[in-house]
Amino acid sequence: MKSFAELNFPGRLIAVEGLDGSGKSTQIYLLKRWLELQQLKVYFSEWNSSELVKSATSKGKKRELLTPTTFSLIHATDFADRYERHLVPLLRAGYIVLCDRYIFTAFARDVVRGCPPEWVRGLYNFAALPDLTFFFRSDLEVSLKRILDGRPQLKYFEAGMDLRLSSDPYESFRIFQGRILEQYLAMSTEFNFLVVDANQVVEKQQAVVRELVTQRLRLQDFRRAERPPSKPPAEPRKKNLEEASAL
Amino acid sequence: MKSAAKNHILVPRPTQRRFYGHGIPGVELERLAGKLIVVEGADGSGRSTQIAKLVQWLEATGHATAQVGLKRSTLVSEELEQAQEGNILSRTTLSLFYATDFADQVENLILPALKAGFIVLADRYIYTLMARDIVRGMDEAWLKNLYGIALEPDAVFYLNVPPEELVQRTFAKNATLDYWESGMDLGLSRDMFDSFMTYQTAMQKTFRSMQTTYGFTIVDGMRSADAINADLQKKISAVLAGK
Repeated sequence: MKSFAELNFPGRLIAVEGLDGSGKSTQIYLLKRWLELQQLKVYFSEWNSSELVKSATSKGKKRELLTPTTFSLIHATDFADRYERHLVPLLRAGYIVLCDRYIFTAFARDVVRGCPPEWVRGLYNFAALPDLTFFFRSDLEVSLKRILDGRPQLKYFEAGMDLRLSSDPYESFRIFQGRILEQYLAMSTEFNFLVVDANQVVEKQQAVVRELVTQRLRLQDFRRAERPPSKPPAEPRKKNLEEASAL
Repeated sequence: MKSAAKNHILVPRPTQRRFYGHGIPGVELERLAGKLIVVEGADGSGRSTQIAKLVQWLEATGHATAQVGLKRSTLVSEELEQAQEGNILSRTTLSLFYATDFADQVENLILPALKAGFIVLADRYIYTLMARDIVRGMDEAWLKNLYGIALEPDAVFYLNVPPEELVQRTFAKNATLDYWESGMDLGLSRDMFDSFMTYQTAMQKTFRSMQTTYGFTIVDGMRSADAINADLQKKISAVLAGK
């Protein structure tokens, strides 16, 4: 497997991985804002977000219809849809694509759910590797607290309740996420994860992320083209709506 | 029929079961007492007629049956239908979507029915799914890994009907050719008739090349429905007897 840079794509893909509640979504959001404010071409894509597949996934989750195999396949379908329709074309167009979770989420989760590792890896072998993968390593208790601060209850699949590890969701979460962490750590070297200590405060983590991105990517290569002079220069934010309707 | 007259009902002989590849986690193969019979073939090859006749015959001879087919899962069949109508999904996505539908039926219908000792009749199986993708240039090794979740059937019958005859049968029923069955997404020809012929010929060629790997029985679909069914019954009887 090769990265997008190795495949001579003009764009670059940055992925974040980590346990639920590791704070990776906050970090990638801040990274996105930072890049956007530098007028760079940025696109953000989230795990399990393709419109069409989403309806099936949420139905499956709601009715607890999913088995480890169908759970794995439906997430692979979602990924393939985003990969073929968004990620690849945007990377061809020289975008920095930010992914909240990438194939490693499947490698970790599906294997913990009991799917054969070679099978899962085979499903995703059409995908190129990210150019940078940040792994936000948090302690289980920190993750659990972050999730519970945001909402009162753990979600069924996030707590791994389908695996019947424990009838107590909190206990189940600890066991399930603990196993996922093991899987992530086992992949860390193989896929060159950039490990960020996610127990730290938000700002400290973001400083590390921005520093590494600056070191590894030539950010000036991803600048948006200057607008043709005939059009008035766009004011950032606010005016966007008017502009869109004028088009 | 002689044995039925004496009220003797044949109990299917158990055989060794296998998945094609990595399989599905947590399945106890030795508990799958039933039989899995697959009928493959293009639209218009007579699959549903043959399956209906087989169900009648099997029930008459005292066997419980269950039927499965493509795009019939609770999980994704509606979404799959939508996706196909809009023709918006790219190839890998569509493949994985079909595989999800297939897996859902394996786990929720096929395996439970086999465990309960039913004769499961599958109206198409992974071979159609794989052949469609192979014709569209997808990686065979990738497909093989993907469909490693499939159980090896006890018998696979491929109803062979030449494209010229398929066209005639389709028009006798519908007066239109199906977009997907004509392979229109491949851009083979703007002319739907030409596209249908080219596509179905390619599908047949792919099926024939898969025959050695997957060991299906190629059945001459140009005979009368009853003659074909008699042939299938004979072969299925042998399967039930563990031969």
